[in-house]
Amino acid sequence: MEEELISSKNTAISFILETETLEELEDLKLQFLGRSGKLTLLIKSISKLPSEKRPEIGLLANEVKNTIEQAIKNKESELKNLKTKARREKIDVTNPGILPPLGHLHLITQAISEITDIFKKIGFQRVRYPEVEWDWYAFTALNFPQNHPARDDWETFFIDAPENKKYGKMLLTPHTSSGQIREMEHSRPPIKMLNIAKCYRRQSDVSHTPMFHQFEGLVIARDISIVNLKGTLDYFVRSYFGEKRQSRIRPYHFQFTEPSFEVDVSCGVCNGRGCKLCKEGWLELGGAGMVHPNVLKAGKIDSKKYTGFAFGWGVERVLMMKEGIEIDDLRLLYSNKLEFLNQF
Amino acid sequence: MNIKILDSHFREFLKTPATPKEVKEMLSLTSASVERVKKIGNDFLYDIEVTTNRVDLMSVLGVAKEAFASFSQFGKSAKYLPPKFNKPAAGTEENISIKNNPKIVNRICAVVLSVNVKDSPKFIKDRLEASGIRSLNNLIDVTNYIMREIGHPAHVFDFDRLPTKTIVIRESSGGEKIKTLDGKDYVLPGEDIVADDGEGNIIDLLGIMGLENSVVTENTKRILFFIDNNDPQRIRKTSLALGIRSEAAVLNEKGVDPEKAYETLLRGIELYEQIADGKVLSPIYDIYPNKAKERKILVSSEKISQVLGVEISDSEIKNILTKLNFQVSKKNNLLEISVPTDRIQDIEIEEDIIEEVARIYGYHKLPSILPKVESSIASKYTNSFFWEEKVKNSLKYWGFTEAYTYSMVSKDLYEGTESDAVKIQNPLNEDLVFMRRTLVPSLLKVVNENKAYDEVKTFELANIYHKRGDDLPNEIITLAGIVKKENASFYEVKGIIEQLFNDLGMQGVFKKSQKSVVGASIYINKEYVGEIEVLDNNLIDFELNFQALIKHAASAKKYKPIAKYPPVIEDLALAVSESVETSEIIHEIQSKSSLIVEVSLLDQFADTRTFHIVYQDPNKNLTTKEVSEIREKVIKSLKEKFSANLK
Repeated sequence: MEEELISSKNTAISFILETETLEELEDLKLQFLGRSGKLTLLIKSISKLPSEKRPEIGLLANEVKNTIEQAIKNKESELKNLKTKARREKIDVTNPGILPPLGHLHLITQAISEITDIFKKIGFQRVRYPEVEWDWYAFTALNFPQNHPARDDWETFFIDAPENKKYGKMLLTPHTSSGQIREMEHSRPPIKMLNIAKCYRRQSDVSHTPMFHQFEGLVIARDISIVNLKGTLDYFVRSYFGEKRQSRIRPYHFQFTEPSFEVDVSCGVCNGRGCKLCKEGWLELGGAGMVHPNVLKAGKIDSKKYTGFAFGWGVERVLMMKEGIEIDDLRLLYSNKLEFLNQF
Repeated sequence: MNIKILDSHFREFLKTPATPKEVKEMLSLTSASVERVKKIGNDFLYDIEVTTNRVDLMSVLGVAKEAFASFSQFGKSAKYLPPKFNKPAAGTEENISIKNNPKIVNRICAVVLSVNVKDSPKFIKDRLEASGIRSLNNLIDVTNYIMREIGHPAHVFDFDRLPTKTIVIRESSGGEKIKTLDGKDYVLPGEDIVADDGEGNIIDLLGIMGLENSVVTENTKRILFFIDNNDPQRIRKTSLALGIRSEAAVLNEKGVDPEKAYETLLRGIELYEQIADGKVLSPIYDIYPNKAKERKILVSSEKISQVLGVEISDSEIKNILTKLNFQVSKKNNLLEISVPTDRIQDIEIEEDIIEEVARIYGYHKLPSILPKVESSIASKYTNSFFWEEKVKNSLKYWGFTEAYTYSMVSKDLYEGTESDAVKIQNPLNEDLVFMRRTLVPSLLKVVNENKAYDEVKTFELANIYHKRGDDLPNEIITLAGIVKKENASFYEVKGIIEQLFNDLGMQGVFKKSQKSVVGASIYINKEYVGEIEVLDNNLIDFELNFQALIKHAASAKKYKPIAKYPPVIEDLALAVSESVETSEIIHEIQSKSSLIVEVSLLDQFADTRTFHIVYQDPNKNLTTKEVSEIREKVIKSLKEKFSANLK
């Protein structure tokens, strides 16, 4: 009996070791441990032994059973590992993956997000004001004389609506500067505004679209100086265009600022030395200036107490000045060709 | 406006060791922007952009004066060499009667000369042509040359073509006809400044262009050399009405300093003597009823320093302003500044003086410091911009591509009646006439223009414009989208909107649309917010009032304790008529017990709908018996209400 047990253990182990598939292993398990398996039958026959021998043989039988079970278990996990290994070898990692859906945000949205973020970090709050505006907000309150060419029919879109006694004609705002007065009307200094909005001008060519976007900064507080304006635009230029880019201001003329400036950014290609792209080393960004006292007055802010600066630049313009986005016809931005939109 | 001047001409009035490149740099940073320097032979041509308020810089002399004030700030020496004019002896052989109208003309300087017509010498030709003026003959060239040099337009008549020897300045009456010296016919709108020969014949359109009937020809022997300083607003009106944008008109409409008129006359006489054998035949006329204004402005040096952001001393302020030809004196604690006559047009207030000081001092010398002040308004994190960005990003990651279309649309794309329209009075073209009331038509156009794509998912977030009587229109931020694909599914589009709502922390109610044949109207808390529209098998759109939507949006989340006892989950398959809406069934099931915490449609096949039901008691484990009691109640009521049968 003892020998039979040991020999069946050895047979089982040697069979198990030679097994190559999980199916074979399952067969072996049945042969030895199943209801009518060899070992099962042997164990059943223990009861026929004399009672004094039973404990000893019983112990041995148990040990044999455990050993076989363990061997099967080990083999099983070994075979299973082999299987995953085989599976791994079937993957072609160069085949394409299954992509989750991915659309595209318009370049303008992307630029606006970036601009908003940059100014948010230095405490500017984004606002939005009417696109369909009164002449008063777009021109008169901004110190434009009545006969200023910006009011001409071929410059600005006018709405077919009766003139307002107080505010004049209804029009599509040609610049975000109309938001300056709106802002002054509903908040008091210190003011730190970022107005980003659609603007409209009556022109369409490779560098103009009848609808476009501007972002307007306005800061009004005590002791605001040109130095602060320089600090702000320097911060923007380095944040938006890159650390190496520099900015400068030059004298210019606008109705609603005094002094007025034109803002330049050093060319990213030649770093201000002059090249084919920029011609003279600098690229024009847009206008800026110290808020004209007449504008503060229109916004009911005491120009003796407060000074301020403002700037208004084209979103499309700063976008085009960014490296890699030199679009030769601005109208492409609003053509909504998917071939174009899907690039961004 | 731009002016082109040659370096050699410029250096006749300014002695400086600065190179042309340095001239360009220094002028650009402190005065007018020199856009280009071009080498021409041994000379250099500056192309300078002059802002409309600085008509005084539209001359070689003006630029030289500015350069004089600016260059020393860069450590470059510069000496201004003002031109000297000698008054020639008056002639006695001829005279002319000039009757001015001081309401419209400020000053007239004139003289009659005998001359010889010929080509101009080379230096005159070169300078004129480099600066963009065609050389014609010496008589006309002189007028252009002095306009470029001094900045005051001038005119020359053939004296022998003025037989009445009379010039009467008057306003035109509407409808009078003229032929300009370039042979074009015009009808005057009225109130234009004209010269009349005393017999009702117009012989000059003052300040804008000479006329064919009095212009010099190759046979001219005697000229009337004529400098007129006019009312700028009338010049602008006439120039725009007739579409004549001559350089004289462009300068005169900005207001040229009348003080320059006399110098211009003297310089012209000198040149006629030099290059046209000119001899003065008449007295020198100077009719000057409207003297240049005087202006004094008080400024405080503290204010100047405050706006600049750096301390600047009284003596430095005085030094800068004096070089710019201002006179500075102390008055109490303030500085009293007298404005030079050629700057009266643009220097009116303290801030204008600050600009003069600041730009010559040099913006480039000022430091860059961020303002140390914060906005007084509390910022709201979840404002409209927050939700806009969130929704745009969600749509992007669900495969939508964002479009930006024009706010103005054509009559075809406009949805609404004309009386409701916000209409543009002066549209650029017929595609941009109405401010749109809906976004979908613009997006359909986008889909149409991308025919090559079988599948398009696009959206736009933009304003629509609703007329509000005579007030400004209501601008409503609106979200619209389109799904184009073969057999597009209503449920796919509805799912997008439901998921957007989930992300915004709100729930929508979808009802059969009242507007479109196939589609849904969408409500949040009973407020109508928009529409899904199934246009055809392959095209579904949606449009939502974004502004209304985000009123219900919530970023704040509510914490609910995690359930201690497990739920019982089961699926119930029901045969029920298709006329019964799923939402009615769900509502009915839910109403049967507060222990039913969730009901959803699992799937639908023919007349069978399978509902997924979750039972849960927050306080204890549910027994099979409790669940089956609720279930029986549900089945019974569904049978009664909808004749639904358990399958």
